Amino acid sequence: MKRKKWIALLATLTMMTGVITGCGSSGETQETAEPAAEEESSGEEAAVEETEETASAEGAEAVTIWYYWETEGHQVALDQVIQEYNASQDSYQVTAKYVPFADFKKQLSIGASADELPDIAILDSPDHASYVDMGIFEDITGKFDVSSYYEGTVNSCTVDGKLYGVPFGVNCLALYYNEDMLKDVGCSVPTTWDELKETAKALTTDNVTGLALCSVQNEEGTFNFVPWLWSTGATSYDINNENGIRALSYIQSLIDEGVMSKECINWTQGDVMNQFISGNVAMMENGPWQIPTMQSEAPDLNWKVTLIPKDSEYSSVLGGENYAVISGGNVDGALDFLTYATSEEKVKFMMEKFGYISADKTIAENQFEADSPYQPFVEELNYAMPRGPLAEWPGVSDAISLAFNQVITGTATPEDAAAKAQETIDGIVK
Amino acid sequence: MKKHKKLFRYDNVGILFVLPAFLYMLIFVGYPIIRNIVLSFQDVNAGNLVRGTKNFIMFENYLELFKDDVFRTSLANTLKYTVLCLIFQFLIGFVLALFFSKRFSLAKPVRGILLVPWMIPVTVTALMFKLLFATDIGVINYILRSLHLISKNIEWLTTPGTAMFALVCANIWIGIPFNMILISTGLTTIPKELYESASIDGANKVQTFFSITLPLLRPTIESVLILGFIYTFKVYDLVYVMTSGGPVNSTHMLSTYSYKLSFEMFKYSKGSAVANVLLVILLIVGVFYIKATTAGEEE
Repeated sequence: MKRKKWIALLATLTMMTGVITGCGSSGETQETAEPAAEEESSGEEAAVEETEETASAEGAEAVTIWYYWETEGHQVALDQVIQEYNASQDSYQVTAKYVPFADFKKQLSIGASADELPDIAILDSPDHASYVDMGIFEDITGKFDVSSYYEGTVNSCTVDGKLYGVPFGVNCLALYYNEDMLKDVGCSVPTTWDELKETAKALTTDNVTGLALCSVQNEEGTFNFVPWLWSTGATSYDINNENGIRALSYIQSLIDEGVMSKECINWTQGDVMNQFISGNVAMMENGPWQIPTMQSEAPDLNWKVTLIPKDSEYSSVLGGENYAVISGGNVDGALDFLTYATSEEKVKFMMEKFGYISADKTIAENQFEADSPYQPFVEELNYAMPRGPLAEWPGVSDAISLAFNQVITGTATPEDAAAKAQETIDGIVK
Repeated sequence: MKKHKKLFRYDNVGILFVLPAFLYMLIFVGYPIIRNIVLSFQDVNAGNLVRGTKNFIMFENYLELFKDDVFRTSLANTLKYTVLCLIFQFLIGFVLALFFSKRFSLAKPVRGILLVPWMIPVTVTALMFKLLFATDIGVINYILRSLHLISKNIEWLTTPGTAMFALVCANIWIGIPFNMILISTGLTTIPKELYESASIDGANKVQTFFSITLPLLRPTIESVLILGFIYTFKVYDLVYVMTSGGPVNSTHMLSTYSYKLSFEMFKYSKGSAVANVLLVILLIVGVFYIKATTAGEEE
């Protein structure tokens, strides 16, 4: 009898394995999923793999890169630069690996504790400080000239005055509007919050909502909320005041007056863009990386980009990726590749293919024609500020996106939401 | 030689059969559990995951959790979700099992088709239900409006209360086949003779159900409910895809909150503490399961 009990106990434990190793087991499935994703991504990968074999036979050192771009154009462009680099020298052999964005932070965390990290990571800039704090990034102060780069981008990879990364590209949010719809209702392009609300009201019909912005409760949502917060003069760390409450009340009023859909809390930036190009939304807050997709999927849609309307000052948020060199890996190889990839020629090539703006101010200012849809983003960059940099930024970000989600869903008043967010933030930033 | 003989004695062979599985469990289940428990007593965050000292702060993570609103909501949510799902899955599954135990043409193929929800990957089901419950483009709102039951679209997934309802609906749909099949199997084990003699004695359908079917199905029902509890309680993928714990943290489950703490906020120790709360609750249920499955045999 005793033995049977044992077997039953074992069986039960097996059933529960999934729970206990909840974190671990999902990590495993992701790992198996990655090679598949890589195969799908493009034939280029296979080509990289082949060259790797021939080169490694000659004793080249391997350098691996992790990135999270799912857009095929991005992957192809990066691969091309890597292949050119591999062909240009014999000492190092670079390979790139795609890790889905949703798993990127997790994979870096798991990789850090299991000591299985790449040599270079191309990561979202607000997370940079957290990983510097974790101690997995190499101090590369003085190895790259970043003096001509946008200050905000350099700040995002600088901790205690030391440089821990090189900005890859830069982006920010601006306001897209459907020019035809705006013409139909006879409105001019809004520049202030009041004008924006009036315009949105005029544009809203049974089938069209005036404005949309990604409002999901995570970093992506925070990215879209902070321009409104900062425009009032409030900061990310000081919300429970007149300014912070005004920003929350404004977003709440957009929902209450029906000019923005509550569904936005389930829309990613990509979803918002899809709603815009299918004509369900007349204006949206979004970034420049949507432009290539919009141009190919809706070539006839007549849209333009302008600065995000202001409350007391123009404001936008800085986004983009940074290169980081992992300490303890093949640092020399990583630095050699980065020197190659950050040369003006390669930066220009990748920025064009990506639909990104160069983090190098001197390149960015002459990157686009005056009538290019990217040009307003270059102008908006002058008003764009970075999130953080702060190792505990994820906690602050969570408090901000929660507060906005509370007022959008009507579960808290702007005053209560601001007070609660402040309490959380004060607990993090003393 | 003598020793070998002893080792392979009949009584010991059983242990040898269990040994590989036991070792496997020890390494791949036991080790992670212990690591996770140790982690939950430490103070590990982004700053000291790789380097630096990991201080033991004992129960502080757990104490903080019980003061944390989101944790309390997720604990309550997980329980509410599990109980609601279990009740409806079980009742509907039971009725369907009784229905398909009757012999009529197509009974078997139709019962097979009903298994489809159980076979579809949960992420696919979740996406499907997310679209069904969408406010402006969702089929459910369309049907309700066409029937003039509602005049304005219901914001299913963007209102705290209804988002939970949508999750429960989706999971009931997934779980019905599981309950149905297990109960169907249980029904086939009841000897036909009992029903025959009952009908000779003049018992009606209701009496047969409550005096024969239900008592004889008791062990099956216990297993179905306990297994169902375990499967439902550790839900992750469905919630992650449909609501990601939102709106405003109102549909966070223990599993999704643990993930969020660990991998989005870098609070590894707190995340593992949440996972351990989940583990303890399931262990308690697991003990009941062992009792239920072994009780019959001991008699």
